[in-house]
Amino acid sequence: MVAAWRDRLPLYLSVQLRRNDGVRGLFVVVAAFFVLYVFLFPGLLTVGGLSKFTQNWFPLALVSMAQAMLMLTGGISLAIGATVSLGAVVAATTMAGTLGVAGGFLAVTTIGLLVGTLTGAIVSVLRLPAIIVTLAGAFIIGGVALLILPRPGGAVPIWLSDLLAGHTPSALALLVMLILCWKLYLATPLGITLYAAGENPVGAYRSGAPVEAARVAAYAISSVLAAWAGLFVAAQTGSGDPIIGNAFTLNSIAAAVLGGVGFLGGTGTMRGALAGSLLLSVMINVMFFLGFPPVAQYVAQGLIIIGAVALPEFSALWRRR
Amino acid sequence: MIGPRSLGLADVGLLLRSRPFLTLLVVAVVWIATSLVSHGFGSYGHLRYLVELAAAIGIVAAGQTMVVIGGGIDLSVGAVITVASVSLPLLSPGSDPTGFIGVAFTLTLAAGIGFTNGLGIAYLRVHPLIMTLAMATLLQGLLVIIAGGSAISVQSPLVVWIGSARVAGVPAGILLWFGVSAATLAILHGTPFGARVFAIGTNPLATRLSGINTNRITIWLYTFSGLMAGLAGILVLGMNRQGYVGIGDPYLLASIAAVVLGGTSILGGRGTYAGTIPGAILLVTITAIITVVNASPGWRSILFGSLILGLLLFSGREARR
Repeated sequence: MVAAWRDRLPLYLSVQLRRNDGVRGLFVVVAAFFVLYVFLFPGLLTVGGLSKFTQNWFPLALVSMAQAMLMLTGGISLAIGATVSLGAVVAATTMAGTLGVAGGFLAVTTIGLLVGTLTGAIVSVLRLPAIIVTLAGAFIIGGVALLILPRPGGAVPIWLSDLLAGHTPSALALLVMLILCWKLYLATPLGITLYAAGENPVGAYRSGAPVEAARVAAYAISSVLAAWAGLFVAAQTGSGDPIIGNAFTLNSIAAAVLGGVGFLGGTGTMRGALAGSLLLSVMINVMFFLGFPPVAQYVAQGLIIIGAVALPEFSALWRRR
Repeated sequence: MIGPRSLGLADVGLLLRSRPFLTLLVVAVVWIATSLVSHGFGSYGHLRYLVELAAAIGIVAAGQTMVVIGGGIDLSVGAVITVASVSLPLLSPGSDPTGFIGVAFTLTLAAGIGFTNGLGIAYLRVHPLIMTLAMATLLQGLLVIIAGGSAISVQSPLVVWIGSARVAGVPAGILLWFGVSAATLAILHGTPFGARVFAIGTNPLATRLSGINTNRITIWLYTFSGLMAGLAGILVLGMNRQGYVGIGDPYLLASIAAVVLGGTSILGGRGTYAGTIPGAILLVTITAIITVVNASPGWRSILFGSLILGLLLFSGREARR
């Protein structure tokens, strides 16, 4: 067993290394922003600074994973933000009540699972275009969130807020755990089919891969991730807000695309999507420390996103000269 | 299309399979049903008002339909509408009594934004979703810099005329929409340019290999979309008499929903503006009915999403290719 593993390791590493090909430029950009950030704010290198930074990044990282997963299967979700809101609202209304934290966590997970399974079923079984179904879904999910909590309120137990968003790097630990889970998921039949279903659905289907099941599972898992992101945001702010998640929809798409995940499915890596979300997150922090007014941040964000996505094209132009 | 022979059963079948006709049929059924239940809904004045509201959506959706048929999507239309309505008072020189120059400047600005989108998509190879999204983010920042947070009221006589005049009992907005519709349908179905738009949406590579300058077509498409959004912005400004940041936001989703409800494939290459027209009216009608029901914002949102989803089940199935 151990010997077999030792023989395969070089192959595994070389394959994984090759999967970095499309995103090396992004890694360099992210690293450069990080160096700048550390230069501006040396406190980042302490445990407290790192904890705070990963807490700001964590919800975006979760929704970017959620979006990337869907885009790998050739789908997309415009309901991610609404699902984040729903998760936050459910967490804020259940956790301080009789259900307790465990019950609230279960409620958030169940609702995420339910929303995702339904969406996935409509998209893959009824063959409606994902972009429109999730657009309509965003209205429905957002409406439910408004019904549960018409205005910001509710509460999350303080010890949970301290645990998740306090001075410990628990968010980073959770993220590492989720990434490990993703690696394990990719080794399951449904995980392998995820890429196959995006790359060549007909071919995958004819090879006996469970294409429809993989798609529905992707929607279910991604909704759960988004709902958890909502729970985390609720813990961060100590309360629920029915529209707090709205910005996450577009940011999750931006992060995934920055990370080289294609819209047509089958191309891209989760590490790319995570790096993309990290870039967005670091960028906002750096601009804050450079003293950009919030308004100029929008402009810079737009330009940097276009620039980062167009980078390969620019470098190709350069090489042609 | 219908020859000199008499109408047969086959023609009726053909008509029932035509998506624009089906959407029109749904509008008619909804109008008749609602006017039976709710008094005053079916009055000429109210229906005219609905069509007048639909005009703005219909004009934005003219550009959106073209872009979607060409295999893209324009997520910056909402921001362009806001830009147009906020910057028009600033671009109108005081020396011009008709307001014509201000409108011309604004339309040029809107078309210029679309042109920039087209440049990025064609030459930098940035995906339309990302390019137009980043553009919207960027414009959002610029808008706050230009306009601050305050509403700007409109003085331009031409804009006020477009927003409120009745020509022989027909609102000027509807006439404007009529003109836009005629032009869009003529361009899309009657010119080589239109044929190339369909070609790009179906298979961009094959189109390019056939010797068509796809970059130029792409740039024209997004320029047209920007121009239409600018025109809609002027109409919206004329109807509201005030421009403020966020005025264009609802029109983004509305324009996409109108396109899809009208039977145009979100994947590109198939569709017609003739379906988008009843699609826009349908959308406004749904919103009006929901307002009549007088529900809480949560329920209104759920109802809106469910109705769109329901209509999609009825008419929006993507055919297998």
